[in-house]
Amino acid sequence: MSLSPKTGPRLGGRPLLVAGFGSLLLLMLLAGGYALRTLEQVRTSDLEERNHHLRRDRALDRVRTGIFQSAIIMRDYLLALDEKTAAAQIERFAETRGQTDRALAECAALIDPTESAALHELQSELQLYWKLLEFISQIPAENRQVRGSEYLSKQVRQHRAELIQMADQVDAISARQMAASDARLKETFGRLRGRLTLIVALALGVGLLLAGFTIWRTLRLERELEQRYREGLDAQQELKELSARLVSAQEEERRSISRELHDEVGQSLSALLMEAGNAAAHVPPDATHVRQHVDSIKKLAEASVNIIRNMTLLLRPSMLDDFGLVPALEWQAREVSKRTGIRVQVTAADSAGELPDALRTCIYRVVQEALHNCARHAQARSVRVVVHQEDSKIVLSVEDDGRGFDARRVRGLGLVGMEERVRHLGGAFHVRSTPGAGTKVDVELPLAS
Amino acid sequence: MTRILLADDHTVMRNGLRLLLERQPDLKVVGEASDGRQAVDLAAAENPDVVIMDIAMPQLNGVEATRQIVNRNPAAAVVILSMHKDESYVIRSLKAGARAYLLKDSAEADLIAAIGAITEGKSFFSPAVRSLLKEDYMHQLEELGAEDSYELLTNREREVLQLVAEGKSNKQVAALLNLSLYTVETHRNHILQKLNLHSAPELILYAVRKGIIS
Repeated sequence: MSLSPKTGPRLGGRPLLVAGFGSLLLLMLLAGGYALRTLEQVRTSDLEERNHHLRRDRALDRVRTGIFQSAIIMRDYLLALDEKTAAAQIERFAETRGQTDRALAECAALIDPTESAALHELQSELQLYWKLLEFISQIPAENRQVRGSEYLSKQVRQHRAELIQMADQVDAISARQMAASDARLKETFGRLRGRLTLIVALALGVGLLLAGFTIWRTLRLERELEQRYREGLDAQQELKELSARLVSAQEEERRSISRELHDEVGQSLSALLMEAGNAAAHVPPDATHVRQHVDSIKKLAEASVNIIRNMTLLLRPSMLDDFGLVPALEWQAREVSKRTGIRVQVTAADSAGELPDALRTCIYRVVQEALHNCARHAQARSVRVVVHQEDSKIVLSVEDDGRGFDARRVRGLGLVGMEERVRHLGGAFHVRSTPGAGTKVDVELPLAS
Repeated sequence: MTRILLADDHTVMRNGLRLLLERQPDLKVVGEASDGRQAVDLAAAENPDVVIMDIAMPQLNGVEATRQIVNRNPAAAVVILSMHKDESYVIRSLKAGARAYLLKDSAEADLIAAIGAITEGKSFFSPAVRSLLKEDYMHQLEELGAEDSYELLTNREREVLQLVAEGKSNKQVAALLNLSLYTVETHRNHILQKLNLHSAPELILYAVRKGIIS
């Protein structure tokens, strides 16, 4: 399987996820900002509108009060007994008039321009009303009481009723304006709700999409990972089998080369040696030259036989196949003793001789490697090799009195190779060693396999 | 006339041996076997005085063939002629009933002498094998720090050991030493006990290792 279709979606997925989550966040941020802004707007415009309404109402109230009050002032003026009181009333009238005008102006400023027609009417009517009242002040003092009262009750009362009606109309306008503003607010709220609903729905949709994509992607990655893991395991297993096959092929090769060397080359050389002897028997006594050559041939053949013998034993000792494990181990022990001076003691149960080939070879090679380590690294003086049978397993231990090593840290190729051999036959392999306290290799091999 | 059976899977080897042996006027090769099974069959058919046997042979190896031949005819004198120069082969051959062990590279020099020795009931080993066994014995003694059990034997027992190892029968030993047969048997048992040995081949092997016989 090629790698590109696997890496493709992974590279494409990441920007997609980032963009998706980014836009989701942005959407939420926008929605939040918009909602906050709108709410703030609504709050301020509502407050303003209510404030205006209140001020309009108050101003109109003041206008109404002014209308009544000015009429009362003018009646008081008519009823005044002396000029001084009359003049004070005129002054009060002017003051009230000013206040009322200001109140109406304030009201006009707060009213919607489209509704200002009614207000203008009210304003001009008020001016007329003022003029009517002013006229009273111009009535001569002597018939002030009679004509003034009549004028007041006829002209002014009627006019005042109209004015009040107009003021009520303005009041209605103000109320309408208030209601319109409420309607506007309601509409703004409705719009806000609609937009928020849309955004939330959109966010939910994008979120669901993202969640789906994320789950799909996670599952896919998980599957991929699992597959990789399985592939890794398979490869490891394959490698192990391969190395085991390699080991057994090597062993088989050694066995056949050893046998070939011994049975063919060795025997031929032995025959050659003997034939040389036979030839020597026919050499005339005075042919010293020929005899020398024959002797030289014999010496060469003898040396070659020795070389072949050593080679075959080193490759694979023939006693391992001819007589079994114990003689081979004993031979190995003797060889190591002779070569290195290390005392090697082999204790093996006779039953250990009847082992299947694979077990026998495994134990022999493990012991060989362990003894090799003893001689090469451990500086041991003596080694004990023990092989015995326990229930349905063969137990081997090789223990030396050498300088040891840190078994947790050092793991030479030799140890790894030994362990590999043992594990392949389903056995257990342990090395116990502490610096200065020797090394012990323990092996347990099941017999059933 | 000594009748000889050759057992070796190499024709060249057998031819060479035949040439070597038949240069002697009193030796005659009566059969040639190219594997162990054939050797057993021919030994039964020809009843030779001496069998010269290789170890590495197809079908049945030389050690097993020797065991079968000696089982059938305890008087058969088997000379092992092998490439193998290790104690395990020598000991197993002797235990199987062989009386001489020669290395192929010294066949030409020693074979005639070996045949002479075993027809007289003695054992014979190639000098290289002899020194190997001796060396290993000394090495073992040294290693185990054990006392040489030979020191435990009395002078009389040493005399008996040597004669037995040389292939003499109890009767011959009794006659030579002027002792009763019963006394010789007692000596012999004591020797085996003291040396921790169990059979005649082991006794012979011991004697070789000690250098008592050659």
